[in-house]
Amino acid sequence: MAIFPPAQPNTHRLGPMQTLPAPMRRFPDNEPVDYCIVGAGCAGGVLVQRLARAGFRVVALEAGPFWDTEKDWVSDEKGSHELYWNDLRITGGKDPLALGSNNCGKGVGGGSVHWAAFTPRFHPSDFRIYTEDGVGTDWPMSYWDLKPYYELLEREIPVAGPAWFPWGDPHGHPYGPHPLGGVGDVLVRGCAKLGIRSVAGGPVAILSASHGDRPHCIYRGFCLQGCKVGAKASTLITHVPDAITHGAEIRARSMVSRITLRNDGRVDGVEYFDAEGREHRQLARAVIVSGYAIETPRLLLNSACPTHPHGLANSSGTLGKYLMAQAGNVVAGRFDELIRLYKAPPAHALSEEFYETDTSRDFARGFAIQTVGPLPVAFARQMMNAMGAWGWGMRRVMMDYNHWATLGVLGEILPWEDNRVELANAKDQYGLPVAKVTFNLHDNDKKLIEFGKRKVMEVMYAAGATQVVQESRYAHLVGAARMGKDPATSVVDKFGRSHDIPNLFICDGSILPTQGSANPGLTIHALAARTADYLIQQGDSIFYSSRRDQSEPGIRYDLSPPFTRFKGNPRLA
Amino acid sequence: MKKRSFPIDAAGNAIRDLNQPGYYPDFSTMRQKKSWDAATQRVVSARMQQIPPVRFFTADEAQLLEAIIDRLLPQDDRAQNRTIPILPVIDERLFTNALNGFRYEDMPSDREAYTLGLRAIDEMARKRFSAPFVQLTLEHQETLLKSLHDGKPDPAHQVWKQIPVHRFWALLLDDCVTAYYAHPWAWDEIGFGGPAYPRGYMRLENGLPEPWETDELRYEWRAPLDSKSDTVSSADDAKSFQPRGDR
Repeated sequence: MAIFPPAQPNTHRLGPMQTLPAPMRRFPDNEPVDYCIVGAGCAGGVLVQRLARAGFRVVALEAGPFWDTEKDWVSDEKGSHELYWNDLRITGGKDPLALGSNNCGKGVGGGSVHWAAFTPRFHPSDFRIYTEDGVGTDWPMSYWDLKPYYELLEREIPVAGPAWFPWGDPHGHPYGPHPLGGVGDVLVRGCAKLGIRSVAGGPVAILSASHGDRPHCIYRGFCLQGCKVGAKASTLITHVPDAITHGAEIRARSMVSRITLRNDGRVDGVEYFDAEGREHRQLARAVIVSGYAIETPRLLLNSACPTHPHGLANSSGTLGKYLMAQAGNVVAGRFDELIRLYKAPPAHALSEEFYETDTSRDFARGFAIQTVGPLPVAFARQMMNAMGAWGWGMRRVMMDYNHWATLGVLGEILPWEDNRVELANAKDQYGLPVAKVTFNLHDNDKKLIEFGKRKVMEVMYAAGATQVVQESRYAHLVGAARMGKDPATSVVDKFGRSHDIPNLFICDGSILPTQGSANPGLTIHALAARTADYLIQQGDSIFYSSRRDQSEPGIRYDLSPPFTRFKGNPRLA
Repeated sequence: MKKRSFPIDAAGNAIRDLNQPGYYPDFSTMRQKKSWDAATQRVVSARMQQIPPVRFFTADEAQLLEAIIDRLLPQDDRAQNRTIPILPVIDERLFTNALNGFRYEDMPSDREAYTLGLRAIDEMARKRFSAPFVQLTLEHQETLLKSLHDGKPDPAHQVWKQIPVHRFWALLLDDCVTAYYAHPWAWDEIGFGGPAYPRGYMRLENGLPEPWETDELRYEWRAPLDSKSDTVSSADDAKSFQPRGDR
């Protein structure tokens, strides 16, 4: 007897309770839309939803597929490989970044499909590290400009976590914290022994109670493999359905190859390849690039033309530069007792006690300590790197999988000019030059990583681990098209508008000037909502005027997806 | 004929022909299959039942790689019909040219790295032990492989000037663990709960098993005497075993 009810034929499922609104609009290629958004990920998903609600004609072109979560996603590590951007990229430098896997998504929802969904806010200090510490650069906005958007997005996606988060700008969360799992318990225990404050059960964009047509978490631990449950937020299920309901089009399997210009120097659309490899052109009155830290600069560089020989929006020469990754060292500890680290969301408990600059240390800025929960293949890779395990040694350590707990350093690496995205000689399946990524650690980064790694190992021992090993790795790519006040040293202004071309915008993680030691997802969502408010407030002038209005748009509370109302952000007055 | 060398239990007996190594003897993820969603059932069952043919490697290369894989992720303790396929999975990836999203600047393509690396290992075997790799004793095979693991290829070979040896090692071992630990029999071995949707978990703390999971039943074991790949760190651990019998 079948346990599950038979699937409805021809329904596109977005989690067990939600279906794709049908029918979806289809804009003709040769008729200009108002906005063409390149990439339907964290930022693109929010933008397309807001702009559609405001009545714009908007299409998002997404290189990857439009996931049907019931058919396409599996509760299996290897079977989830297609969620990642697996196409070729070249990586180099003195400290080359491993790309692919969980630092870049492909498909509607983008990286939010496979993020762990930790959603800490950046700290107020993150927006002014040059002023405070003389390192990196300041943002062209303050924390307080973004704060209302943090609060709104925490209600929209929504975020579960402790009632009181003590670091940065202290705040609470709309949904209650999740129950503690084995790895979270290790973090709390170790931190407690050392007098380090910690929080558990969030902040994560994972539901601890049902929300509209999304069920709550079932603690199966497959967050990074795409949440079939629909409990973990991704723009695929939080914003894209509402966008389609309001008349937006999501055109999946459409790989944009080039942004095109009119004679007057304004962009007028994009060229793209469809699923069959046929070339198309989509006309648009404005283009927003939301392809993340590698594909965004790559597309702009690949769009070079006689009037922009070094790529679009690159008169400053900073496009592709100041790429950042966070230090993501994983510290693994073996315990005599069983942990079973595969249970509960990998993103689970954290401490930001070492986030800010401490003048008693010999480096600027800091790091967070977070839980991570590698499934067997990922854990075997970590043991290969952390212990040099192979052969019978690999078999032995893996037989002890359930005795290990893993914690991560999430450390701020500063923006450096020599960390960059360029074009390689190699070509992809469309004949387009692929990205070449160069990454070097600098002195401050190395000292920070060394300190962070030792501190987390200390926490692991304090929690009772009998053996502690660590793997050096990185997490989260941001930067490479940074925002700033000065067109000579940045690519876009504080609303993501390129300094060079008035109807070309960038909105995604690539515009971050610095990254703090918070996971960037919530901040990217918040920036996208703010850019959308700006575009809506500016109205049609975006499409014909070159006047650059830098006044704040004022937040719109009437454009949120359903089920956002009646939620609050707990905080002390 | 496959060369084999068995790990040893605390009583000194060879550990062999096991249907399920590891400390969770009665645990079976596949037994839970009926509680998984349909897409997951399909993907995991296909992995167990549909073993792809070898199409990328030549017969000689395949034989050589198989011998290397047998040392990188030995399965001598497993019964022959409970051996997890690794070579066909690697071959399939290379045949379809499925990438992992990047290539290191100082590395050739994955296909070329495999072809060159395999040839180098065989030539190293002939130079140092005057025989092809597959004909070496397991001890000699591991001696050669350990020199790659340590980043000090012995004997030196010109290919390692072209391909950083630590990157080749990582590529090869990464592919091996990805194939092995993606297999339900490996999940049973290590006590991983496997797919868990739509049921989920209810006992999150203190390492407690779900009603359908089992408690751990540990046993002591040591690697075969001719192996150089175990991680048992202290000499005391190793000494506590007194091997005897029919190795």
